[in-house]
Amino acid sequence: MNTSSSTSGGCQCGAVRYRIAGTLCKASICHCRMCQKAFGNFGSALVAVPAAQVTWSRGKPATFRSSAIVDRGFCAACGTPLFLREDGDPNIEIAIGSLDDPNAIPAMIHQVGVESKVAWFDGLRDLPRRTTADDRTPEDLLRLKSLQHPDRDTEHWP
Amino acid sequence: MNANPSPATGGCQCGAVRYAIDGPFRNPHICHCRMCQKAFGNYFAAFVGTEKAKFRWTRGKPGVFRSSDVVERRFCRDCGTPLSFAYDHSPYIAVAIGSLDDPACVTPQHQFGIESRLQAFATLHELPGTRTEDTIPAETMEKLKSRQHPDADRPSS
Repeated sequence: MNTSSSTSGGCQCGAVRYRIAGTLCKASICHCRMCQKAFGNFGSALVAVPAAQVTWSRGKPATFRSSAIVDRGFCAACGTPLFLREDGDPNIEIAIGSLDDPNAIPAMIHQVGVESKVAWFDGLRDLPRRTTADDRTPEDLLRLKSLQHPDRDTEHWP
Repeated sequence: MNANPSPATGGCQCGAVRYAIDGPFRNPHICHCRMCQKAFGNYFAAFVGTEKAKFRWTRGKPGVFRSSDVVERRFCRDCGTPLSFAYDHSPYIAVAIGSLDDPACVTPQHQFGIESRLQAFATLHELPGTRTEDTIPAETMEKLKSRQHPDADRPSS
């Protein structure tokens, strides 16, 4: 379990930032077709947190109501998917890639929504691997310098 | 190479932005780099490319965030779905595979950005799995009925 007292995260551009006080709970991935399309991906990776422990420290997420009882939060300025929350649930599910340190979460416990799982998911680990630097010149890497928000809170940004 | 439907269509969750790809797919891959992780709020991004000349936005206009000086990442401003990635100087554009109407129609062939690969990634496929209806009561399933755009083009309402 994660025992750090405070965890931070936010969107790619930094317009929306959050802090989580206390413990992160259950972590899981979801393959359902709604998570696939909302996240533009194989599905979602989420960690549950008591909603009362989440503070939006900069900006506010926009929401899309993907069903009658679910809000999905995202940054309207850069699109980063940030959370999923079912009405009445004391927990909010945070998109783990939006955490400043996505390795610092509790162990993943299961995969849900496997009725929509894409066949290619299980083989991803074994695909040939390249680093970002392998296929680029130093000049290319300079041009690719990240303009995304740093993985920590900032006083002012950009 | 994957044989792909032509046109291959896709779009965001809410349906405000839709696109079509008229040419062949190229370079299906996943990217673990920290910028793709944060842009997608996920372990990695999954992309498939095509020529910019063979790609068209067919409904709505996506938002854009320039994540570096030479890169455009496009997304839906109404629901957030990450949609595309393109270098300014490249003849190609890559779309987010999960935004395709049929994300199973293309199989990633490489992993890039391996320097940022998250620790848990290698064992995700070994986790015990459940179907949505296995864990959610029938009456809740009714309330969870999808409001997302169908996985096909529809006339504008």
